Amino acid sequence: MRALVTSVARLLVGYSVALAIGVPLGTALARSRLVKQSIGPIVLGLSSVPSICWLPLAILWFGLSEWAIQLVVVLGAALPVAVATENSVRHVPPSIERAARTMGARGARLMLTVTMPAALPGILGGAKVGWTFALRSLMAGELLFVSGGLGQLLETGRDLGDTALVLAVVVVIVALGRASEVLLFSRADRAIARRWGMEAA
Amino acid sequence: MSGVAAEADSSLVVVRGARAGAAIALDDVSLRIDAGAGEVEILRNASLHVGAGEFVCLLGPSGSGKSTILNLVAGLAQPTSGRVLRGEVPIAGPGPDRAVVFQDAALFPWLTLRRNVEYPLELQGLGKRERAAKSEELLRLVHLWRFKDQYPHELSGGMRQRGAIARALATDPAVLLMDEPFAALDAQTREILQGEVERIWSATRKTIVFVTHNVREAVRLADRIVLMGTRPGRILHEETVDLPRPRAANDARVAELANGIAQRIASEVEKVAREEADDAWVAPGGAGRRDSRRAMGRAV
Repeated sequence: MRALVTSVARLLVGYSVALAIGVPLGTALARSRLVKQSIGPIVLGLSSVPSICWLPLAILWFGLSEWAIQLVVVLGAALPVAVATENSVRHVPPSIERAARTMGARGARLMLTVTMPAALPGILGGAKVGWTFALRSLMAGELLFVSGGLGQLLETGRDLGDTALVLAVVVVIVALGRASEVLLFSRADRAIARRWGMEAA
Repeated sequence: MSGVAAEADSSLVVVRGARAGAAIALDDVSLRIDAGAGEVEILRNASLHVGAGEFVCLLGPSGSGKSTILNLVAGLAQPTSGRVLRGEVPIAGPGPDRAVVFQDAALFPWLTLRRNVEYPLELQGLGKRERAAKSEELLRLVHLWRFKDQYPHELSGGMRQRGAIARALATDPAVLLMDEPFAALDAQTREILQGEVERIWSATRKTIVFVTHNVREAVRLADRIVLMGTRPGRILHEETVDLPRPRAANDARVAELANGIAQRIASEVEKVAREEADDAWVAPGGAGRRDSRRAMGRAV
Protein backbone atom coordinates (compact mmCIF):
# COMPACT_ATOMS: atom_id res chain seq x y z
CA MET A 1 0.00 0.00 0.00
CA ARG A 2 2.77 2.39 0.84
CA ALA A 3 4.45 1.43 -2.41
CA LEU A 4 1.29 2.42 -4.29
CA VAL A 5 1.09 5.79 -2.58
CA THR A 6 4.76 6.46 -3.28
CA SER A 7 4.39 5.61 -6.95
CA VAL A 8 1.18 7.58 -7.47
CA ALA A 9 2.66 10.63 -5.77
CA ARG A 10 5.70 10.45 -8.04
CA LEU A 11 3.49 9.98 -11.05
CA LEU A 12 1.35 13.01 -10.26
CA VAL A 13 4.31 15.27 -9.62
CA GLY A 14 6.24 14.13 -12.68
CA TYR A 15 3.19 14.23 -14.91
CA SER A 16 2.21 17.74 -13.80
CA VAL A 17 5.71 18.98 -14.53
CA ALA A 18 5.62 17.20 -17.87
CA LEU A 19 2.36 18.93 -18.83
CA ALA A 20 3.70 22.27 -17.66
CA ILE A 21 6.69 21.80 -19.94
CA GLY A 22 5.09 19.92 -22.82
CA VAL A 23 2.08 22.15 -23.57
CA PRO A 24 3.99 25.46 -23.75
CA LEU A 25 6.84 23.78 -25.61
CA GLY A 26 4.45 22.30 -28.18
CA THR A 27 2.69 25.66 -28.59
CA ALA A 28 5.99 27.40 -29.14
CA LEU A 29 6.99 24.77 -31.68
CA ALA A 30 3.76 25.31 -33.58
CA ARG A 31 3.88 29.08 -33.52
CA SER A 32 7.47 30.21 -33.62
CA ARG A 33 9.53 29.50 -36.66
CA LEU A 34 12.69 30.18 -34.70
CA VAL A 35 11.80 27.65 -32.02
CA LYS A 36 10.68 25.11 -34.61
CA GLN A 37 13.85 25.35 -36.63
CA SER A 38 16.22 25.49 -33.70
CA ILE A 39 14.87 22.81 -31.35
CA GLY A 40 12.13 21.10 -33.39
CA PRO A 41 14.39 18.32 -34.74
CA ILE A 42 15.90 17.81 -31.29
CA VAL A 43 12.49 17.37 -29.67
CA LEU A 44 11.38 14.93 -32.35
CA GLY A 45 14.63 13.00 -32.07
CA LEU A 46 14.60 12.85 -28.30
CA SER A 47 10.98 11.77 -28.20
CA SER A 48 12.00 8.56 -29.95
CA VAL A 49 14.47 7.72 -27.15
CA PRO A 50 12.90 5.34 -24.63
CA SER A 51 12.86 7.43 -21.50
CA ILE A 52 14.47 4.75 -19.37
CA CYS A 53 17.64 5.37 -21.37
CA TRP A 54 17.91 8.62 -19.44
CA LEU A 55 18.20 6.81 -16.13
CA PRO A 56 21.98 6.28 -16.17
CA LEU A 57 22.47 9.97 -16.95
CA ALA A 58 19.96 10.95 -14.28
CA ILE A 59 21.80 8.85 -11.70
CA LEU A 60 25.10 10.44 -12.67
CA TRP A 61 23.60 13.88 -12.22
CA PHE A 62 21.37 13.43 -9.23
CA GLY A 63 22.59 10.22 -7.60
CA LEU A 64 20.12 7.59 -6.47
CA SER A 65 17.56 10.19 -5.52
CA GLU A 66 13.98 11.21 -6.12
CA TRP A 67 15.25 13.72 -8.68
CA ALA A 68 16.76 11.03 -10.86
CA ILE A 69 13.53 9.11 -11.12
CA GLN A 70 11.49 12.28 -11.70
CA LEU A 71 13.76 13.29 -14.55
CA VAL A 72 12.96 10.02 -16.28
CA VAL A 73 9.22 10.43 -15.76
CA VAL A 74 9.20 14.05 -16.92
CA LEU A 75 11.27 13.36 -20.02
CA GLY A 76 9.17 10.35 -20.85
CA ALA A 77 5.88 12.25 -20.67
CA ALA A 78 6.74 15.81 -21.71
CA LEU A 79 7.98 15.00 -25.20
CA PRO A 80 4.87 13.17 -26.48
CA VAL A 81 2.72 15.90 -24.92
CA ALA A 82 4.79 18.53 -26.74
CA VAL A 83 4.54 16.71 -30.07
CA ALA A 84 0.77 16.27 -29.76
CA THR A 85 0.28 19.89 -28.68
CA GLU A 86 2.33 21.11 -31.60
CA ASN A 87 0.22 19.13 -34.03
CA SER A 88 -3.12 20.19 -32.63
CA VAL A 89 -2.20 23.88 -32.37
CA ARG A 90 -0.94 23.76 -35.94
CA HIS A 91 -4.23 22.29 -37.08
CA VAL A 92 -6.55 24.83 -35.47
CA PRO A 93 -8.69 26.02 -38.40
CA PRO A 94 -7.27 29.38 -39.50
CA SER A 95 -10.73 30.90 -39.88
CA ILE A 96 -11.37 30.44 -36.15
CA GLU A 97 -8.36 32.51 -35.21
CA ARG A 98 -9.01 35.01 -37.96
CA ALA A 99 -12.57 35.44 -36.71
CA ALA A 100 -11.27 36.09 -33.20
CA ARG A 101 -8.75 38.59 -34.50
CA THR A 102 -11.43 40.53 -36.36
CA MET A 103 -13.27 40.81 -33.05
CA GLY A 104 -10.20 42.38 -31.50
CA ALA A 105 -8.53 39.40 -29.79
CA ARG A 106 -4.76 39.27 -29.98
CA GLY A 107 -1.64 38.09 -28.22
CA ALA A 108 -1.99 36.09 -25.03
CA ARG A 109 -5.74 36.63 -24.93
CA LEU A 110 -6.14 35.12 -28.39
CA MET A 111 -3.94 32.21 -27.39
CA LEU A 112 -5.75 31.47 -24.13
CA THR A 113 -9.36 32.07 -25.14
CA VAL A 114 -9.30 30.75 -28.70
CA THR A 115 -6.22 28.85 -29.83
CA MET A 116 -5.87 26.64 -26.76
CA PRO A 117 -9.56 25.70 -26.48
CA ALA A 118 -9.64 25.01 -30.22
CA ALA A 119 -6.62 22.72 -29.88
CA LEU A 120 -7.93 21.06 -26.73
CA PRO A 121 -9.14 17.74 -28.20
CA GLY A 122 -5.68 17.10 -29.66
CA ILE A 123 -3.91 18.27 -26.52
CA LEU A 124 -6.05 15.94 -24.44
CA GLY A 125 -5.04 13.07 -26.71
CA GLY A 126 -1.41 13.99 -26.12
CA ALA A 127 -2.03 14.22 -22.40
CA LYS A 128 -3.36 10.66 -22.36
CA VAL A 129 -0.36 9.34 -24.25
CA GLY A 130 1.84 11.33 -21.87
CA TRP A 131 0.16 9.72 -18.88
CA THR A 132 0.85 6.18 -20.05
CA PHE A 133 4.40 7.14 -20.95
CA ALA A 134 4.85 8.60 -17.47
CA LEU A 135 3.53 5.41 -15.87
CA ARG A 136 5.81 3.21 -17.96
CA SER A 137 8.86 5.35 -17.32
CA LEU A 138 8.15 5.35 -13.61
CA MET A 139 7.79 1.59 -13.40
CA ALA A 140 10.97 1.03 -15.39
CA GLY A 141 12.81 3.52 -13.23
CA GLU A 142 11.59 1.98 -10.00
CA LEU A 143 12.54 -1.49 -11.18
CA LEU A 144 16.08 -0.38 -11.68
CA PHE A 145 16.87 1.14 -8.33
CA VAL A 146 15.85 1.07 -4.73
CA SER A 147 13.00 3.46 -4.47
CA GLY A 148 10.06 2.24 -2.41
CA GLY A 149 7.53 2.27 -5.25
CA LEU A 150 5.53 -0.41 -7.04
CA GLY A 151 8.44 -1.16 -9.33
CA GLN A 152 10.62 -2.01 -6.40
CA LEU A 153 7.91 -4.29 -5.02
CA LEU A 154 8.02 -6.18 -8.32
CA GLU A 155 11.76 -6.51 -7.98
CA THR A 156 11.36 -7.75 -4.40
CA GLY A 157 8.84 -10.35 -5.56
CA ARG A 158 11.28 -11.59 -8.14
CA ASP A 159 14.10 -11.78 -5.60
CA LEU A 160 11.93 -13.83 -3.26
CA GLY A 161 10.58 -16.00 -6.06
CA ASP A 162 7.12 -14.82 -5.01
CA THR A 163 5.05 -15.10 -8.21
CA ALA A 164 1.88 -14.18 -6.37
CA LEU A 165 3.38 -10.88 -5.25
CA VAL A 166 4.63 -10.09 -8.75
CA LEU A 167 1.23 -10.83 -10.30
CA ALA A 168 -0.54 -8.88 -7.59
CA VAL A 169 1.58 -5.83 -8.31
CA VAL A 170 0.84 -6.14 -12.03
CA VAL A 171 -2.87 -6.23 -11.21
CA VAL A 172 -2.43 -3.09 -9.11
CA ILE A 173 -0.68 -1.36 -12.01
CA VAL A 174 -3.50 -2.29 -14.39
CA ALA A 175 -6.02 -0.97 -11.86
CA LEU A 176 -4.00 2.23 -11.53
CA GLY A 177 -4.05 2.77 -15.29
CA ARG A 178 -7.77 2.13 -15.48
CA ALA A 179 -8.55 4.33 -12.47
CA SER A 180 -6.57 7.21 -13.88
CA GLU A 181 -8.45 6.86 -17.15
CA VAL A 182 -11.77 7.12 -15.33
CA LEU A 183 -10.75 9.81 -12.85
CA LEU A 184 -8.67 12.05 -15.06
CA PHE A 185 -9.79 11.70 -18.62
CA SER A 186 -13.28 10.35 -19.10
CA ARG A 187 -15.02 13.50 -17.92
CA ALA A 188 -12.90 15.65 -20.19
CA ASP A 189 -13.53 13.21 -23.02
CA ARG A 190 -17.27 13.40 -22.56
CA ALA A 191 -17.27 17.20 -22.38
CA ILE A 192 -15.30 17.40 -25.60
CA ALA A 193 -17.47 14.81 -27.31
CA ARG A 194 -20.56 16.80 -26.41
CA ARG A 195 -19.18 20.09 -27.63
CA TRP A 196 -17.37 18.99 -30.74
CA GLY A 197 -19.99 16.43 -31.68
CA MET A 198 -17.67 13.45 -31.62
CA GLU A 199 -18.59 9.98 -30.48
CA ALA A 200 -17.68 9.36 -26.86
CA ALA A 201 -14.98 6.72 -26.70
CA MET B 1 -15.56 50.97 -23.36
CA SER B 2 -14.05 54.30 -24.40
CA GLY B 3 -13.02 52.57 -27.61
CA VAL B 4 -16.61 51.74 -28.34
CA ALA B 5 -17.72 55.31 -27.77
CA ALA B 6 -14.96 56.65 -29.99
CA GLU B 7 -15.93 54.15 -32.66
CA ALA B 8 -19.56 55.23 -32.59
CA ASP B 9 -18.44 58.85 -32.94
CA SER B 10 -16.22 58.19 -35.91
CA SER B 11 -18.94 56.26 -37.70
CA LEU B 12 -21.26 59.23 -37.25
CA VAL B 13 -18.66 61.42 -38.88
CA VAL B 14 -18.46 59.00 -41.77
CA VAL B 15 -22.22 59.00 -42.23
CA ARG B 16 -22.31 62.77 -42.33
CA GLY B 17 -19.40 62.92 -44.72
CA ALA B 18 -20.59 60.03 -46.82
CA ARG B 19 -20.54 62.01 -50.03
CA ALA B 20 -17.20 63.64 -49.36
CA GLY B 21 -15.35 60.52 -48.25
CA ALA B 22 -16.17 56.85 -48.30
CA ALA B 23 -16.70 54.37 -45.48
CA ILE B 24 -14.04 52.28 -47.16
CA ALA B 25 -11.61 53.24 -49.86
CA LEU B 26 -8.97 51.27 -51.72
CA ASP B 27 -6.51 53.54 -53.41
CA ASP B 28 -4.50 51.82 -56.17
CA VAL B 29 -3.94 48.72 -54.05
CA SER B 30 -1.73 45.83 -55.15
CA LEU B 31 -0.79 42.69 -53.29
CA ARG B 32 1.98 40.31 -54.21
CA ILE B 33 3.00 37.35 -52.14
CA ASP B 34 6.13 35.24 -52.19
CA ALA B 35 4.93 31.75 -53.11
CA GLY B 36 8.25 29.93 -52.96
CA ALA B 37 8.67 29.58 -56.72
CA GLY B 38 8.58 33.36 -57.14
CA GLU B 39 6.22 36.23 -56.56
CA VAL B 40 2.53 35.82 -57.31
CA GLU B 41 0.42 38.85 -58.02
CA ILE B 42 -2.83 38.41 -56.10
CA LEU B 43 -4.33 41.81 -56.75
CA ARG B 44 -3.30 44.52 -59.22
CA ASN B 45 -4.05 48.23 -58.95
CA ALA B 46 -7.46 47.97 -57.36
CA SER B 47 -9.30 51.19 -56.55
CA LEU B 48 -12.69 51.09 -54.93
CA HIS B 49 -14.89 53.41 -52.90
CA VAL B 50 -17.70 52.12 -50.73
CA GLY B 51 -20.05 54.72 -49.30
CA ALA B 52 -21.43 54.55 -45.76
CA GLY B 53 -24.54 52.39 -45.68
CA GLU B 54 -23.91 51.02 -49.15
CA PHE B 55 -24.28 47.33 -50.04
CA VAL B 56 -21.49 46.34 -52.42
CA CYS B 57 -20.95 42.87 -53.87
CA LEU B 58 -17.56 41.75 -55.14
CA LEU B 59 -18.27 39.24 -57.89
CA GLY B 60 -15.79 37.11 -59.75
CA PRO B 61 -14.37 33.62 -60.23
CA SER B 62 -11.91 32.10 -57.78
CA GLY B 63 -8.51 33.74 -57.91
CA SER B 64 -9.91 37.14 -58.81
CA GLY B 65 -8.81 38.70 -55.55
CA LYS B 66 -12.27 39.35 -54.14
CA SER B 67 -11.59 37.66 -50.82
CA THR B 68 -8.22 39.42 -50.80
CA ILE B 69 -9.96 42.79 -50.90
CA LEU B 70 -12.10 41.68 -47.97
CA ASN B 71 -9.03 40.59 -45.98
CA LEU B 72 -7.34 43.91 -46.70
CA VAL B 73 -10.36 45.82 -45.42
CA ALA B 74 -10.62 43.49 -42.42
CA GLY B 75 -6.98 44.23 -41.67
CA LEU B 76 -6.01 40.57 -41.90
CA ALA B 77 -3.66 41.35 -44.78
CA GLN B 78 -1.55 44.36 -45.70
CA PRO B 79 -1.18 45.65 -49.27
CA THR B 80 2.18 45.55 -51.02
CA SER B 81 1.45 49.00 -52.43
CA GLY B 82 -1.40 51.48 -52.30
CA ARG B 83 -3.60 52.41 -49.35
CA VAL B 84 -6.68 50.90 -47.72
CA LEU B 85 -8.68 53.50 -45.81
CA ARG B 86 -11.53 53.34 -43.35
CA GLY B 87 -12.97 56.84 -43.41
CA GLU B 88 -9.80 58.89 -43.72
CA VAL B 89 -7.64 56.56 -41.67
CA PRO B 90 -5.38 53.85 -43.12
CA ILE B 91 -6.32 50.38 -41.87
CA ALA B 92 -3.49 49.00 -39.78
CA GLY B 93 -5.05 45.78 -38.48
CA PRO B 94 -8.26 44.03 -37.54
CA GLY B 95 -10.73 45.91 -35.38
CA PRO B 96 -14.24 45.50 -34.00
CA ASP B 97 -15.50 48.31 -36.26
CA ARG B 98 -15.17 45.88 -39.20
CA ALA B 99 -16.78 42.49 -38.54
CA VAL B 100 -16.29 39.50 -40.82
CA VAL B 101 -18.61 36.59 -41.60
CA PHE B 102 -16.63 33.68 -43.04
CA GLN B 103 -17.76 30.99 -45.47
CA ASP B 104 -17.43 28.28 -42.81
CA ALA B 105 -19.12 30.43 -40.12
CA ALA B 106 -16.07 29.94 -37.87
CA LEU B 107 -18.14 29.69 -34.72
CA PHE B 108 -16.13 28.43 -31.76
CA PRO B 109 -17.04 24.75 -31.32
CA TRP B 110 -16.40 24.73 -27.57
CA LEU B 111 -18.91 27.51 -26.84
CA THR B 112 -22.69 27.47 -26.99
CA LEU B 113 -24.34 29.66 -29.58
CA ARG B 114 -25.07 32.28 -26.97
CA ARG B 115 -21.51 32.29 -25.60
CA ASN B 116 -20.25 32.59 -29.17
CA VAL B 117 -22.27 35.75 -29.66
CA GLU B 118 -21.07 37.06 -26.30
CA TYR B 119 -17.39 36.42 -27.00
CA PRO B 120 -16.72 39.73 -28.81
CA LEU B 121 -18.64 41.54 -26.07
CA GLU B 122 -16.44 39.88 -23.46
CA LEU B 123 -13.38 41.12 -25.35
CA GLN B 124 -14.78 44.62 -25.09
CA GLY B 125 -15.13 44.25 -21.35
CA LEU B 126 -18.92 44.35 -21.13
CA GLY B 127 -20.52 43.11 -17.93
CA LYS B 128 -22.46 39.90 -17.66
CA ARG B 129 -25.89 41.50 -17.71
CA GLU B 130 -25.16 43.71 -20.72
CA ARG B 131 -23.76 40.73 -22.59
CA ALA B 132 -26.84 38.67 -21.86
CA ALA B 133 -29.17 41.44 -23.02
CA LYS B 134 -27.22 42.05 -26.20
CA SER B 135 -26.88 38.38 -27.13
CA GLU B 136 -30.61 37.84 -26.60
CA GLU B 137 -31.43 40.78 -28.84
CA LEU B 138 -29.11 39.51 -31.58
CA LEU B 139 -30.21 35.88 -31.41
CA ARG B 140 -33.82 36.99 -31.67
CA LEU B 141 -32.89 39.15 -34.66
CA VAL B 142 -31.60 36.06 -36.51
CA HIS B 143 -34.39 33.81 -35.15
CA LEU B 144 -32.08 31.53 -33.18
CA TRP B 145 -33.06 32.40 -29.61
CA ARG B 146 -34.56 28.98 -29.04
CA PHE B 147 -31.22 27.37 -29.90
CA LYS B 148 -29.08 29.56 -27.66
CA ASP B 149 -27.72 26.70 -25.57
CA GLN B 150 -26.78 24.45 -28.49
CA TYR B 151 -23.23 23.89 -29.60
CA PRO B 152 -22.35 24.78 -33.22
CA HIS B 153 -22.12 21.15 -34.35
CA GLU B 154 -25.74 20.67 -33.30
CA LEU B 155 -26.91 23.36 -35.74
CA SER B 156 -27.49 23.17 -39.49
CA GLY B 157 -25.22 25.04 -41.89
CA GLY B 158 -27.76 27.81 -42.36
CA MET B 159 -28.25 28.21 -38.61
CA ARG B 160 -24.51 28.42 -38.11
CA GLN B 161 -24.29 31.21 -40.65
CA ARG B 162 -27.10 33.09 -38.95
CA GLY B 163 -25.26 32.62 -35.66
CA ALA B 164 -22.08 33.97 -37.27
CA ILE B 165 -24.02 37.00 -38.50
CA ALA B 166 -25.36 37.60 -34.98
CA ARG B 167 -21.83 37.35 -33.57
CA ALA B 168 -20.51 39.74 -36.23
CA LEU B 169 -23.20 42.29 -35.33
CA ALA B 170 -22.43 42.04 -31.60
CA THR B 171 -19.85 44.83 -31.55
CA ASP B 172 -22.19 47.02 -33.60
CA PRO B 173 -19.62 47.40 -36.39
CA ALA B 174 -20.04 50.14 -38.97
CA VAL B 175 -18.84 47.77 -41.67
CA LEU B 176 -19.90 44.17 -42.21
CA LEU B 177 -17.63 42.06 -44.41
CA MET B 178 -19.10 38.83 -45.73
CA ASP B 179 -16.83 36.30 -47.44
CA GLU B 180 -19.01 33.94 -49.52
CA PRO B 181 -21.11 33.32 -46.42
CA PHE B 182 -23.75 31.21 -48.19
CA ALA B 183 -21.57 29.36 -50.70
CA ALA B 184 -21.74 26.07 -48.80
CA LEU B 185 -25.52 26.12 -48.31
CA ASP B 186 -28.28 24.52 -50.34
CA ALA B 187 -30.22 26.75 -52.71
CA GLN B 188 -33.37 27.14 -50.57
CA THR B 189 -31.47 28.00 -47.41
CA ARG B 190 -29.34 30.43 -49.37
CA GLU B 191 -32.38 32.30 -50.63
CA ILE B 192 -33.85 32.55 -47.15
CA LEU B 193 -30.59 33.89 -45.76
CA GLN B 194 -30.26 36.38 -48.60
CA GLY B 195 -33.64 37.72 -47.55
CA GLU B 196 -32.44 37.88 -43.94
CA VAL B 197 -29.31 39.81 -44.88
CA GLU B 198 -31.34 42.27 -46.93
CA ARG B 199 -33.70 42.73 -43.99
CA ILE B 200 -30.90 43.19 -41.47
CA TRP B 201 -29.15 45.62 -43.78
CA SER B 202 -32.35 47.63 -44.23
CA ALA B 203 -32.89 47.71 -40.47
CA THR B 204 -29.33 48.58 -39.42
CA ARG B 205 -27.95 50.40 -42.50
CA LYS B 206 -24.54 48.86 -42.06
CA THR B 207 -22.02 49.25 -44.81
CA ILE B 208 -21.80 45.77 -46.29
CA VAL B 209 -19.13 44.35 -48.56
CA PHE B 210 -20.26 40.93 -49.71
CA VAL B 211 -18.04 38.53 -51.66
CA THR B 212 -19.69 35.97 -53.90
CA HIS B 213 -19.19 34.05 -57.12
CA ASN B 214 -22.96 33.70 -57.52
CA VAL B 215 -24.19 36.28 -60.02
CA ARG B 216 -27.83 36.08 -59.03
CA GLU B 217 -26.95 36.48 -55.36
CA ALA B 218 -24.99 39.62 -56.19
CA VAL B 219 -27.82 41.08 -58.25
CA ARG B 220 -30.37 40.31 -55.59
CA LEU B 221 -28.41 41.92 -52.76
CA ALA B 222 -26.19 44.69 -54.04
CA ASP B 223 -26.57 48.39 -54.62
CA ARG B 224 -23.47 48.07 -56.72
CA ILE B 225 -21.62 45.06 -58.14
CA VAL B 226 -17.86 45.12 -58.63
CA LEU B 227 -16.86 42.59 -61.28
CA MET B 228 -13.44 41.08 -60.87
CA GLY B 229 -11.09 39.17 -63.18
CA THR B 230 -8.23 36.76 -62.68
CA ARG B 231 -4.50 36.33 -63.33
CA PRO B 232 -3.84 38.74 -61.83
CA GLY B 233 -6.82 39.52 -59.64
CA ARG B 234 -8.17 42.90 -60.60
CA ILE B 235 -11.30 45.02 -60.80
CA LEU B 236 -12.84 44.92 -64.27
CA HIS B 237 -15.98 46.90 -64.10
CA GLU B 238 -18.69 48.25 -61.80
CA GLU B 239 -22.40 47.85 -62.26
CA THR B 240 -25.10 49.70 -60.36
CA VAL B 241 -28.17 47.64 -59.51
CA ASP B 242 -31.15 49.96 -59.56
CA LEU B 243 -33.96 47.57 -58.68
CA PRO B 244 -36.57 48.24 -55.95
CA ARG B 245 -36.22 46.45 -52.60
CA PRO B 246 -36.96 44.05 -51.13
CA ARG B 247 -36.06 41.97 -54.13
CA ALA B 248 -37.17 38.43 -54.78
CA ALA B 249 -34.65 35.89 -56.02
CA ASN B 250 -37.03 34.78 -58.78
CA ASP B 251 -37.81 38.34 -59.92
CA ALA B 252 -37.60 38.54 -63.72
CA ARG B 253 -35.53 41.73 -63.60
CA VAL B 254 -33.05 40.12 -61.23
CA ALA B 255 -32.73 37.16 -63.59
CA GLU B 256 -32.32 39.37 -66.63
CA LEU B 257 -29.60 41.50 -65.09
CA ALA B 258 -27.88 38.38 -63.76
CA ASN B 259 -27.81 36.83 -67.23
CA GLY B 260 -26.25 39.93 -68.71
CA ILE B 261 -23.52 40.00 -66.07
CA ALA B 262 -22.94 36.25 -66.33
CA GLN B 263 -22.19 36.66 -70.04
CA ARG B 264 -19.75 39.42 -69.32
CA ILE B 265 -17.73 37.37 -66.88
CA ALA B 266 -18.00 34.11 -68.88
CA SER B 267 -14.63 34.66 -70.50
CA GLU B 268 -13.00 35.13 -67.09
CA VAL B 269 -14.64 32.04 -65.64
CA GLU B 270 -13.59 30.01 -68.64
CA LYS B 271 -10.03 31.24 -68.31
CA VAL B 272 -9.91 29.78 -64.81
CA ALA B 273 -11.47 26.51 -65.96
CA ARG B 274 -8.85 26.17 -68.67
CA GLU B 275 -5.97 26.84 -66.33
CA GLU B 276 -7.26 24.40 -63.75
CA ALA B 277 -7.70 21.60 -66.27
CA ASP B 278 -4.70 19.40 -67.05
CA ASP B 279 -5.06 19.52 -70.83
CA ALA B 280 -6.39 21.81 -73.54
CA TRP B 281 -9.94 21.40 -72.26
CA VAL B 282 -12.46 24.01 -73.37
CA ALA B 283 -15.57 24.76 -71.36
CA PRO B 284 -18.71 23.15 -72.85
CA GLY B 285 -20.36 25.35 -75.43
CA GLY B 286 -17.18 27.34 -75.75
CA ALA B 287 -16.06 26.47 -79.27
CA GLY B 288 -16.91 28.86 -82.07
CA ARG B 289 -17.90 31.79 -79.89
CA ARG B 290 -14.43 32.57 -78.76
CA ASP B 291 -13.94 35.71 -80.85
CA SER B 292 -17.14 37.38 -79.83
CA ARG B 293 -16.44 36.52 -76.22
CA ARG B 294 -12.98 38.02 -76.43
CA ALA B 295 -14.54 41.18 -77.75
CA MET B 296 -16.92 41.14 -74.81
CA GLY B 297 -14.06 40.55 -72.44
CA ARG B 298 -12.38 43.63 -73.73
CA ALA B 299 -15.54 45.66 -73.39
CA VAL B 300 -15.78 44.51 -69.78
